[in-house]
Amino acid sequence: MAVTRERLTRALAPKVVAVIGDKKASGYNWLRSMKEFDGPVYSVQVDENEIPGIEELGIPNYKSLTDIPDQVDFAVCAVPRQVAPFIVQGCVEANVGGVTLFTSGFAETGEEIGVELQNKIFEIADPSGLALIGPNCMGLHVPGLGVRFNRDQPAGVQGNIGFVSQSGTHGMNFSLTGAAQGLYCSTLVSFGNGIILEASDYLEYLADDPQTEVIGMYIEGARDGRRLFRTLREVAAKKPVIIWKGGQTEGGGRAIRSHTASLASDQAIWEAMIRQVGAVAVHNLDEMIDVVKATLLTKRTQGNRLGLIAMTGGQSVVLTDAFEKAGWKVPTLSDDSYAQLSEFFNIIGGSYRNPLDAAGTIGQDPKHLDTIFDILNADENIDAVGMELSATFMARRWQDKPEEFDRLINSIKRFRDESDKPFLAALHPSHVEEAALKARLRLQEEGIPTFPTFERAANALRKASTLSAV
Amino acid sequence: MTADVIAQARAERRTLLSEIEAKQMLAAAGVNVTETRLAASADEAASHAAELGYPVALKVVSEAITHKTDVGGVELGIADESALRAAWDAIHARVAEASPGAELQGLSVQPMAEPGAEVILGITQDQQFGPVLMFGLGGVFVEVLKDVAFRIVPLEPRDASEMVREIQGFPVLEGFRGTPAANLDAIESMLLQLSEFAEANPDVAELDLNPVFARPDGAIAVDARILLTSDS
Repeated sequence: MAVTRERLTRALAPKVVAVIGDKKASGYNWLRSMKEFDGPVYSVQVDENEIPGIEELGIPNYKSLTDIPDQVDFAVCAVPRQVAPFIVQGCVEANVGGVTLFTSGFAETGEEIGVELQNKIFEIADPSGLALIGPNCMGLHVPGLGVRFNRDQPAGVQGNIGFVSQSGTHGMNFSLTGAAQGLYCSTLVSFGNGIILEASDYLEYLADDPQTEVIGMYIEGARDGRRLFRTLREVAAKKPVIIWKGGQTEGGGRAIRSHTASLASDQAIWEAMIRQVGAVAVHNLDEMIDVVKATLLTKRTQGNRLGLIAMTGGQSVVLTDAFEKAGWKVPTLSDDSYAQLSEFFNIIGGSYRNPLDAAGTIGQDPKHLDTIFDILNADENIDAVGMELSATFMARRWQDKPEEFDRLINSIKRFRDESDKPFLAALHPSHVEEAALKARLRLQEEGIPTFPTFERAANALRKASTLSAV
Repeated sequence: MTADVIAQARAERRTLLSEIEAKQMLAAAGVNVTETRLAASADEAASHAAELGYPVALKVVSEAITHKTDVGGVELGIADESALRAAWDAIHARVAEASPGAELQGLSVQPMAEPGAEVILGITQDQQFGPVLMFGLGGVFVEVLKDVAFRIVPLEPRDASEMVREIQGFPVLEGFRGTPAANLDAIESMLLQLSEFAEANPDVAELDLNPVFARPDGAIAVDARILLTSDS
């Protein structure tokens, strides 16, 4: 029986939560992670030695799911694998919405006993319509409701990124590293072996979820590739989808007798599939974060001509190299722009060809930055604007004279709000990591996207701009 | 006709179709291929050639031989009947030396198509995504540079258009150093036909159309290879 949307919604947006089998040896990770949950949390534990420790946390414990006086929407199951089928049976009987099976040791081991237990769980869960997440996974993270599987994950903040991960680690890393960059999830699911619900089910949910504006996915392989292809085609037409494919699937081992089959590597087919559905491929966590950030925080452009504002001549050169290598053009500006720039631009130790080597000019009068932004906004040769924020020269000064940093931020915000052209900034931490971090966090609060290198900025804007959904 | 070709191959426990069988299936699906006939003797070849019109190509037909050119099994641009008879003997001699004991069904006769930019179109089955299509430029581009694009079946017209433009060598198709521009619409139509062909024929495990001549006036497949799935 298919899991209904109603049942899945109960599981992924729960009002009542239960944790089954948490214990002292694991530091009560699950119960502690649910501390910020926006609703009742119950524990289920039969071991008399464990119960006092759980009750000390202030969490009511029951010997069985059916004893809980509330209707449980979402349960986490952290029991040994031999016990897992009984817990799943209990979830069915107690009409739990959905359960995360953190428990591992199933088909992923390749052991006969593991495969048998997994089949048993499937046979119990499948006819009941129980929304079973996993097994062998970290399950659910919904910061807006305080649902977490790691205590460092954010709570009490409504995010807008849906994330689907076959791996618990990569899902967790995205939620933690992303949050440090001001990027928060609406709903994150780590689904492990995915025996009942697989990637396509979560993608369909996130496509319809009003909180979710962009979807990221980490995936190693698809159980039903045809369905994943069809689902992605529909979902990516509605919302931007960014896909990180890990690992290489082994070939079939059959004798290949055509050029076509010999060239159809796993990687080539996945990259083609991702392009075909209108999603974009990334290859590591940092790139995932960069592209999600650019997708959420920069405007889109169909054009590829960039106006660049740099702080030194040397940076102008490598900034241009980085963007051109990522497929951008750094063209000459219009005659009109040059006529205006020539009136005030300091060309001693500076240049305004494009990139604009502008430190001296802006240093002379900060208002010049607004004028430069206005000129680039009006220039028909330019589709997007990138800027170097030099921590090397400026981060200490911003700390000593915060009003200068405020002025810079206001100039950027004015441009961002008035112009249809995408804006992004590169801010390398340089030798002043702490000061640069403070600057980055401040920019982050203002919704101004920064990237640690020119290369990452260029790549992020390029990939975000190729996404088919707007 | 398509079902007959597959049924016969299955009955004979073959998975590799002959070029003639492959082209019959493709022609039935509306794919533009050069008409190709089997000749068991030099006399039969001469009569086919007279009907098809010179110049013609002769190619060895044998279940035992996958790569015809590797065993000297191909003669192109045969201008008349005496050249045809000489080519017939030459191919038999070379194949006998390169592939002794290989059983030949005969040689195929086909008219020489007017050349164009050489492209390859293909089908293969992916373990996860099922049938996929490939497109690339032929010859060195596909074999050495692996400059090809893939799409999952079924293709939408936009997919065909994008995959043709995705390859690095695309400027060659737009006309390059005196080579005329290829008819891109014809290539895209052929890709969409192959997408339907792959959906309609799950028995086809692999297909190469290599080369297809992409000319200003259209596209035509001059060689075709089909490998059936090993099960069923």
